[in-house]
Amino acid sequence: MKRLVATALCAIMAIGTLAGCGSDNAAGGAASSGAEAPKDDPSVKTINLWSFTDEIPGMVKKYKELNPDFDYEVVETIIATTDGAYQPALDAALQGGGADAPDMYAAEAAFVLKYSQGDASGFAATYKELGIDVDAKIKEADIAKYSVEIGTRPSDGEVVALGYQATGGAFIYRRSIAKDVWGTDDPATIKEKIGGGSNSWDTFWTAAEELKAKGYAIVSGDGDIWHAFENSSDQGWIVDDKLVIDPKREAFIDASKKLKDNGWHHDTKDWTDGWFADMKKDGGVFGFFGPAWLINYTIGANCGTEEEGNSSYGDWAVCESPIGFFWGGTWILANKDSKVKGAVGKIIEWITLDTSETGLQYMWANGTLNGEGGTKDTVASGTVMAKSNGELEFLGGQNMFDVFVPANQFANGKNLTQYDESINSAWRDQVRAYTGGEKDRDTAIADFKQAVADQFTSITVE
Amino acid sequence: MAKEATNVVKHRNHGTGYYVFIAFVMLVCILLAVLSIIPFWIMIVNGTRSTPEIQAHAVSLLPSTHLMDNFKIINEKGSFNAFVGFRNSLIISTGATALAVYFSTLTAYAIVVYQWKLKRAFFTFIMAVMMIPAQVVTIGFYQMVYKVGLTNTFWPLILPSIAAPAMVFFMKQYMEPAFSLEIVQSARIDGAGEFYTFNKIALPIMKPAMATQAIFTFVSSWNNLFLPNVILTKGNVKTMPIMVTMLKTDIYKVEYGSIYLGLTLTVLPLFIVYFLLSKYIIAGVALGSVKG
Amino acid sequence: MKRKGVSYAKYGYIFSIPFVVAFLLFQLYPIFYTLFIGFTNLKGFDTALHIHPKGLFYNFKWALTNDTFITGVKTTFLLWICNFIPQISLALILAAWFTNERMKLFGKGFFKVVFYLPNIITAASVAVLFSSLFYYPVGPVNDLLQKWGVIDAPMDFFNDKWSTRLLVIFIQFWMWYGYTMIVLISGILGISPELFEAADIDGANGLQKFLFVTIPNTKTILLYTMITSLIGGLQMFDIPYLITNGHGEPRFAIQTASVFIYNQGFTGEHNYATAAACSMIMFVIIGVLSAIVFYLMRDKDEAALHKVIKAQEKAYRQKLKEQKKGGNING
Repeated sequence: MKRLVATALCAIMAIGTLAGCGSDNAAGGAASSGAEAPKDDPSVKTINLWSFTDEIPGMVKKYKELNPDFDYEVVETIIATTDGAYQPALDAALQGGGADAPDMYAAEAAFVLKYSQGDASGFAATYKELGIDVDAKIKEADIAKYSVEIGTRPSDGEVVALGYQATGGAFIYRRSIAKDVWGTDDPATIKEKIGGGSNSWDTFWTAAEELKAKGYAIVSGDGDIWHAFENSSDQGWIVDDKLVIDPKREAFIDASKKLKDNGWHHDTKDWTDGWFADMKKDGGVFGFFGPAWLINYTIGANCGTEEEGNSSYGDWAVCESPIGFFWGGTWILANKDSKVKGAVGKIIEWITLDTSETGLQYMWANGTLNGEGGTKDTVASGTVMAKSNGELEFLGGQNMFDVFVPANQFANGKNLTQYDESINSAWRDQVRAYTGGEKDRDTAIADFKQAVADQFTSITVE
Repeated sequence: MAKEATNVVKHRNHGTGYYVFIAFVMLVCILLAVLSIIPFWIMIVNGTRSTPEIQAHAVSLLPSTHLMDNFKIINEKGSFNAFVGFRNSLIISTGATALAVYFSTLTAYAIVVYQWKLKRAFFTFIMAVMMIPAQVVTIGFYQMVYKVGLTNTFWPLILPSIAAPAMVFFMKQYMEPAFSLEIVQSARIDGAGEFYTFNKIALPIMKPAMATQAIFTFVSSWNNLFLPNVILTKGNVKTMPIMVTMLKTDIYKVEYGSIYLGLTLTVLPLFIVYFLLSKYIIAGVALGSVKG
Repeated sequence: MKRKGVSYAKYGYIFSIPFVVAFLLFQLYPIFYTLFIGFTNLKGFDTALHIHPKGLFYNFKWALTNDTFITGVKTTFLLWICNFIPQISLALILAAWFTNERMKLFGKGFFKVVFYLPNIITAASVAVLFSSLFYYPVGPVNDLLQKWGVIDAPMDFFNDKWSTRLLVIFIQFWMWYGYTMIVLISGILGISPELFEAADIDGANGLQKFLFVTIPNTKTILLYTMITSLIGGLQMFDIPYLITNGHGEPRFAIQTASVFIYNQGFTGEHNYATAAACSMIMFVIIGVLSAIVFYLMRDKDEAALHKVIKAQEKAYRQKLKEQKKGGNING
């Protein structure tokens, strides 16, 4: 028995040592990188692509279609973010290295900072290492500032991640309700009514009261205004390893209470039945805060049908939000240990920085990636946006790019931290507990601090 | 209840009390049965509804007309390949179940039938293994799987089930009162080898217990998501539950109808396996019958 | 002849080998790794293991003085006890009904099979289902309650401590009573029919048979149910984690110890070390409680059983000897 244990232990240790050697070799082989033009290992003809949706794999297929001489096989690994499965797997794969390790990987806004600036940023290759003349290209393409800020690694100031979408947000409102309350649905006037671009919520509350008098709610739930509050703050949640509740983020708890006590919203939670229902014709909600994708995928899919006679299709318009914000988006990174950096660099450049009409972003913006008539979306490059057409029937023919392009410039990429996903949800939980009458304001804030302190032992909470 | 139970037996000639009691029991059973079936019904019905319909009313008891649309969405997404997923899930679940059931019975047999010095220590050890909280241990397990290079293979999901402490415990508890050592002894007298005795005499007696445990293991292995999700990252080795989560990957546009359809497809094979094995739950081959 | 009966003890060892080997190969390393990182300051993307600079037992001290963890442990007990008692009671009653030959129930087999069904769906689906049913402000349950005039305004079930807890308790009960019932039925079916026949001859009624034949003879299976439920219950994770997005919202109400541990180790900054320390604390708690249950349920019967086995072996050897002797004489 004892001998058996000993043998097994030896075996396990041997395996451990072997694995250790393997990864050392891999690291040694890649250490020569850092030059402008990467030298790919000619024996490697596969690119491991890790993503949490089929969006980027679809793009890469298109790239191969457009470039038949690109002779790399792309091995896709798609793991849903559902139940938090993507990150542990990606982390293990990055740490494990070897042949299955990702060469290129995608990260969503909620967790991209971990990979571009935070704990896992050490795994990322700089865009320069991939052979991309990144500074000049960013200027040429006029990439949204926040997108670059998020993708810049603080330790060396190099760009390691960029997105293709721009997710600057606006206020998306119902034309018929605007006419009913203010006699007009003109975006310029409505912008004045809700205090668009004023950097303050005062006008917005006035509008809420006017809407209430006519039986409408200005928003569906407090989640709708959260992104604007989050993005307007001067400081992120963590400054010098200390938890900071920026006054502008703290104001959200009072704003949420105000919405609830005054009956200005329907008290729904985002992404639940009630929230979706409020997008229909008789939903009784004036507007939603969101980027272009919210129009395409969420409001568009839930606006009701003609048969039911409950469709709000074409009854929407966009105007500037009181405070600029962005919401969502996907960034692309490459592994510093990849043996095919040159090839990966070509794909990444095509996706994130190519402004030509055969570049990804032009097709993405005009909805032509998979043939004519696809969904139009805002993209990171201002240059591409300038030559694209964002007119949508859904918005009564309004060109949404007129609003979203400036919105991308208002978005702030500097007040975010890699732990925002966890901290935000703890904060939203507590705000909801307070507005729901479950606890008082001080207890809610104290519980929030406790939650953060529990989860982040490295953060000082006062 | 106790009083009523007494009544049942006293009135052998089935008086009114008996019928009232039976009616009560039936009522309880029907209520529980409805509670058990409703979620499946909702799931299947939602598989026929469109995403906006589901988003408007998450629960409906009446089917809609979008079954084919949902199939189309599943096909377009390409990540849900019911055949491949079914094959992979079947290999893993069958493998894990067979190994767990056979070797747990064997281990329990070793504990119940034989007298050996380390027996008690071994049993205590098995119990201790059973009590280790699983979540954190998985961190070390991933690391090991990645280091040894077993990612994207089925082995790390099948072989560990040879050591299934909870099942050994069950088999031991089941054998202790029910399994007569006389059988083993008479086999020995007949000249049967120990291994033969286990396979040909003990295993058949354990059938009901094995069937019960097989169901539990198969179901939990089939539904297991957390571990396979991290170990099986490539398309051709993914299991059905992973493929269902892949339907949810488009974070901006979730197709609920197709997800429910995927869930329904995933649960169908389980139903079949369950109903096949359930005859042991219904009838129950009583142990004693083998004795004669 | 020198042979003095055969010792079968070695087969005990031989038959245990597969279990031990599989354990050593697949579980030993992860377990030792977990045990070890509890004493380190491992987190995030570190790979090197260093003993915690603030002392070997720092993480354990941290956990034992952390209010949230302590609350989590208490919550776990509350949720487990509240679902286990009704669960095992119902399971026992159903098992007694379904194994009673005299009770002519229509569709007995159907019910037996159907009651296990809630356990077939994944916890994730169950969580989605229940959160849709209890959606606020518009959801099926809220609509019904308002229609029937039970409540005037919609109720935010998952923003109230006790309604959230009750729902979790109910879901756990609903998912597991069928499982428990099947386990108990299999135990009861394992009882030798001769015992029931003997009881019949003695003129025992149904209740007496249940109390004096069924219960004592399913004691080992009851012990199994108690222990596994204790372990499963104190590691309760899925439903509390999934039903309110993983934060035990409204905070702490359903944050079980396992949810806390998971959030430590798998989210945020990945505090593997504290997660491991908390796991070890839970392991000790579960171990102590299991030992108590074992002690309480281990009665003289088992000791007696051991004596019987020993005696049987002895008798068997005696028999062999006699046979041999007989053989000798005959030969």
